[in-house]
Amino acid sequence: MSVLSVEGLSVSYRVPGGRLQAVRDVSLSVGRGEVLGIMGESGCGKSTLAAAMIGLLPQGAEVAAGAIRLNGTDMLRLPGEEQRRLRGQRIAMVFQDPMTAFNPVLTIGRQLADFVGAHGGGKGAAEIAGMLERVGIPDPGRCLGRYPHELSGGMRQRVAIAAALLMQPDVLIADEPTTALDVTMEAQIIHLLRDLRTSFDGAIVVVTHHLGVIAELCDRVAVMYAGEVVEEAGVDALFHDPRHPYTRALLSCDPAVVMPGSGHLPTIGGRIPDLTALPAGCAFAARCGMAEAGCGAPVPRHRGAGRSVLCHRSAA
Amino acid sequence: MSAVLELSRMSVALPLGGFLSRARLPILMDVSLSVGRGESVALVGESGSGKTTLARAVMGLQAVSGGSIALDGQAVEGAAGHARLRRDAAMMFQDATASLSPRLTVGYLVTEPFRIHGVALPDPEGMARELLAKVGLPPAMARRYPHELSGGQARRVGVARALALKPRLVIADEPTAGLDVSVQAEVLNLMADLRAEMGLAYLIITHNLALVRHVADRVVVLYLGRVVEEGPTAQVFAAPAHPYTASLIAAEPRPDPRQRRMDLAIRGEVPSVLRRPSGCEFHTRCPMAREMCRTTAPTLAPIGAGRQARCHFADQNKDQQGEQHAVEHR
Ligand SMILES: Nc1ncnc2c1ncn2[C@@H]1O[C@H](COP(=O)(O)OP(=O)(O)OP(=O)(O)O)[C@@H](O)[C@H]1O
Ligand SMILES: Nc1ncnc2c1ncn2[C@@H]1O[C@H](COP(=O)(O)OP(=O)(O)OP(=O)(O)O)[C@@H](O)[C@H]1O
Ligand code: SF4
Ligand code: SF4
Ligand SMILES: [Mg+2]
Ligand SMILES: [Mg+2]
Repeated sequence: MSVLSVEGLSVSYRVPGGRLQAVRDVSLSVGRGEVLGIMGESGCGKSTLAAAMIGLLPQGAEVAAGAIRLNGTDMLRLPGEEQRRLRGQRIAMVFQDPMTAFNPVLTIGRQLADFVGAHGGGKGAAEIAGMLERVGIPDPGRCLGRYPHELSGGMRQRVAIAAALLMQPDVLIADEPTTALDVTMEAQIIHLLRDLRTSFDGAIVVVTHHLGVIAELCDRVAVMYAGEVVEEAGVDALFHDPRHPYTRALLSCDPAVVMPGSGHLPTIGGRIPDLTALPAGCAFAARCGMAEAGCGAPVPRHRGAGRSVLCHRSAA
Repeated sequence: MSAVLELSRMSVALPLGGFLSRARLPILMDVSLSVGRGESVALVGESGSGKTTLARAVMGLQAVSGGSIALDGQAVEGAAGHARLRRDAAMMFQDATASLSPRLTVGYLVTEPFRIHGVALPDPEGMARELLAKVGLPPAMARRYPHELSGGQARRVGVARALALKPRLVIADEPTAGLDVSVQAEVLNLMADLRAEMGLAYLIITHNLALVRHVADRVVVLYLGRVVEEGPTAQVFAAPAHPYTASLIAAEPRPDPRQRRMDLAIRGEVPSVLRRPSGCEFHTRCPMAREMCRTTAPTLAPIGAGRQARCHFADQNKDQQGEQHAVEHR
């Protein structure tokens, strides 16, 4: 059974021009020991979806429809207090810039102890140090006495992951966990998350716009465009047999995929549409090389073995 | 013909501060590097290796403690020298949006270099239109403010500004960081077009190796503020001679789930510049380190045409890596 599932979720923001539809009718699920990747261009709704999953939507956001089930229970139907408690205990989050997650004037040890006190129940210093060791911090004892700014970005991200794991969550959500890091630290965090998939018995959701991170780390991938999941597939199928025109376009313009010396790189052209005034038909139509008149009609979702595609002209 | 930019044994040391106010921390050590006319050179290395410090030193924003800088064969010295350099060489900053003053319009921003350098500008609006067109932005963009731009648009405005005074060299610090792949491709194509049109030379600072492969003719690898390898991009990627270069290449996430890397290419972190390792400074992380590496520092030595590396076993590494590469790409 899936640990976390999102069903028909729509989230909008109140903005001066009206309602901005950041997440539209999204259904996804993730099981124990599985890593789900969420990818797409900037502004497609990835972080909004992740924030909704952990109940951390900012002011002005509103869940218009849908359910978010944790071990089967729809959290949106629970009273506010209970919802917060359950999420606080069972879902943990790691952000792009780990600095924002820490208090700059307290030592790492103090913050982890406070954090564990608030979320995880009585765990001792030994357990905290043990967790730091597990995420690859070389001298955990020394790390506990340090302040956040004394650690490198990669080390801070490890500490943030350790803090999340100390809660023994069912779900770990990581929003752009390697985006602020350089290539060697990125590789180390990818390895750490990959190891955790087997050693920690929960589900992992990774949000990133970096295709390399998706390919290295995820089992299944949801591609978002203008608030919708336009394609969902196993990672191998997604990279080797992409079906949605947007997925294909994204893969083909990644400089890491295109052979060097092949002259100009392909581009997608255009931008994502205004999310306050979305068309009735396909939101990708203005940028799609396969678009035809019929694409202006509401788009069907095709489902096949382990995948789904939201397009008039592509089969699942 | 002399290079557009030539750094000879440039060193930068920063004051440590505190009691030991005379003590200095060596950040860049004896870096030599040249960028030829119309050439594109990439400077790579992990966070903290000294890339931004090098760019700042070239632009005169950071004092050097040794060595020299020459532009078109002429030594750059004193305030006048750097003023000349800042006209002929332009800098594209790492954070495009933050480097644009928020209260100025795009039209004003792209023509600001003329004002800074006291160059008369009879038709600023016409010039703004021309510069925006060059980077593929519509004229109406001139009236917008930086916060109203997307990341890719802000980056383009940064390029337009860098091009205002028709430089011959552009120093670009992480020109595609934080951009979506589609926009990354647009910016790279733009840089390639401008190079072809205007004969621009680039010094590109990045740790994105995919970017290096696409735009750089030559690559220079820094570790702890020293050049550890240098050579033509294709050759260095096919057969890296320094274990650090090989590790960086191997650490790059591959956009293909069938080619996942199961082992870790490089462990640990860059040591602090306060505690530089003895012998070869990479020995604490080097998978090939041997006994002598802990005590004897290798020098930067030539290893065939146009290549150099700072490793006792550079020649062997290069041959082995080359063979491995050939097998993988057969
Ligand atoms: N607090 C907010 N108020 C109003 N609109 C918002 C808010 N947060 C996000 N948005 C808008 O919602 C849309 C989705 O944003 P979101 O941050 O979820 O995208 P994302 O896919 O995570 O993008 P990125 O890759 O840039 O992080 C965007 O159009 C964004 O401008
Ligand atoms: N003002 C300063 N005072 C003291 N140390 C500094 C200062 N500026 C930079 N450093 C140190 O100099 C070294 C090189 O820094 P630099 O910013 O040049 O690295 P970089 O290669 O550009 O890294 P990144 O990839 O993170 O941008 C680092 O060890 C850094 O901590
Ligand atoms: S529905 Fe039409 S416009 Fe949309 S992605 Fe499919 S082919 Fe392209
Ligand atoms: S000299 Fe030794 S430690 Fe240094 S890079 Fe070469 S093999 Fe590694
Ligand atoms: Mg986001
Ligand atoms: Mg830098």
